[in-house]
Amino acid sequence: MTKQAIEVSNLSFSYGNTPILEDVNVTFPEGKFSVVLGRNGSGKSTLFNILSGMADYKHGSVKLMGRERKDMSFADCATMMGFLPQFHKSIFPFQVRDVVLTGRAAFSSFSPKKADLEKVEQAIEELEITHLIDRPYTELSGGEQQLVMIARVLVQNPGIILLDEPTNHLDVYYQTFVLEKLRKLSQNNFTVIAIMHDPNLAFLYADHCFFMKNKTVVKTDLANHDSELLQYVYNVQFTAVQVKEKMIVVPTL
Amino acid sequence: MRKYIIGFLIYGLPLPLLLYSLTVGPSQGLHLADYWAWAKAVLAGGVADTSGELYLINNIIENVRLPRVILTFIIGAGLAASGGTLQGIFRNPLVDPYVLGISSGSAFGAALAIAFPLININLSAFALGVVSVILTYSFAFSNKSASIVAVILSGMIVSGIFTAMLTIVQYISDPYKLQAIVQWTMGNLHHASWDKINSAVLPISVGVAGMYLLRWRLNLLALGDQEAKAVGVNPNRDKIILVVLATLTTSSSVAAAGIISLYGLFVPHLTRMMVGPDNRKAMPANILFGGSFLLIIDNFSRSLMEFEIPIGIFTMLLGAPFFIFLMKKNKINWV
Repeated sequence: MTKQAIEVSNLSFSYGNTPILEDVNVTFPEGKFSVVLGRNGSGKSTLFNILSGMADYKHGSVKLMGRERKDMSFADCATMMGFLPQFHKSIFPFQVRDVVLTGRAAFSSFSPKKADLEKVEQAIEELEITHLIDRPYTELSGGEQQLVMIARVLVQNPGIILLDEPTNHLDVYYQTFVLEKLRKLSQNNFTVIAIMHDPNLAFLYADHCFFMKNKTVVKTDLANHDSELLQYVYNVQFTAVQVKEKMIVVPTL
Repeated sequence: MRKYIIGFLIYGLPLPLLLYSLTVGPSQGLHLADYWAWAKAVLAGGVADTSGELYLINNIIENVRLPRVILTFIIGAGLAASGGTLQGIFRNPLVDPYVLGISSGSAFGAALAIAFPLININLSAFALGVVSVILTYSFAFSNKSASIVAVILSGMIVSGIFTAMLTIVQYISDPYKLQAIVQWTMGNLHHASWDKINSAVLPISVGVAGMYLLRWRLNLLALGDQEAKAVGVNPNRDKIILVVLATLTTSSSVAAAGIISLYGLFVPHLTRMMVGPDNRKAMPANILFGGSFLLIIDNFSRSLMEFEIPIGIFTMLLGAPFFIFLMKKNKINWV
């Protein structure tokens, strides 16, 4: 039986009097690539903010590898989990190397050590962006920037990687490149959990898909399409189309 | 080649410049040979003769120029380091150390102490500089966090309030005190003395040393709050420490030398052009080049004209075109 990387039970959350999450129960398995799908405003990002420690929660429990997240410090969390926030813009033209190096900040208080620099080189190599290492981050394309930010998460050496819309704003080449890398990571024992908007890409790459609607996770489904479920989640009629042995869905015209 | 020139500007320039600056001043009739004779006498065990030319030079250098040169260097280093730090924290290259309201708070404190001489001017300037930062932050905070825009806007409001109160003090002051207040606000390195150094050197050194130690953390803060939290660092702790250090440094320097406009804004831009945005290199550059450059400006300000141009006016005249240049070249991306 696979172990659970994250267990969420009876989690509720609200901003002031506006409930955002209601009674969420979901478990993300360890060492797999899971994708969370759902419409805008269904609570995906809030769930991620809670999982990653950006937001605090009062009701319910969130366990990372068996430990209650509330009781962990930022630095404790950092050894376990890396988080890639939504699209990000830097003001200062830092070199790629320096941007990635900041991922080690939880482990070195004043200045980075040699081992930190080695980790940076390693992560950059792994994502095949060695040619960018001396370039200013601000001059890179959106896809290249996203890879740099993923490298920054990798240098933390976390067991769990959360990504909020990692393929947003990317062209098809980088979408597939990034998803391929994420799948590789999950095969190398990382637990990868991503928010995505395209159900077809999710079906193609993920091990598990989770659907959110009306402030809660409604259904988990093993990487397979289900037109009725999709219609319920997105309020759109879908037609399933077979491409070779895979099924994909398109909105019904 | 470029690397060596930049390396010299940052690390090689300070010492010769400090020495050279000792020979700059309005006293007529002193030549390089006189300084040379003085230096030899000092190295040989001090100037004993209390009547000759050497004693005069010794007096000028020891009590007038040396404190001024040292104070100028420390303040330049402090303002540039604080400017670079705050630009990083606020992720905005238009920020200068006065953005939190320090300058107008301190100016009001100094004016108050000049008009009603109950407490020490420097102390009053320092205290009100700190008060203005506290006010700026307490206005900006809502929901346990302060956005950059909220901090900058509330800094403007606090500045406005203190400037208004400064004007009231100026309005009710007699002409002699008014003149003192106006001169104080223009930046007044010519009042440098060992007393001022004694009161400024400790807080500024502590502030600068702290900012130097945290220079790598500043890179992380400059990427943004979310990016810091995402890699397991609570940015608020680092931010608070750095803001306190920058406030300590800036208000001590304002207390010692008045308002030196725009200096903390443009020096970090110059050093960023030299060594890039990585604060591990930019912070030492800010400290050393910041000290040297203010010394160069001060040398001009006391030798260019018959009278001395107040340093605050000089830096404003230099900084304003630079600011416009940055704006036109689109080097500033205001987000």
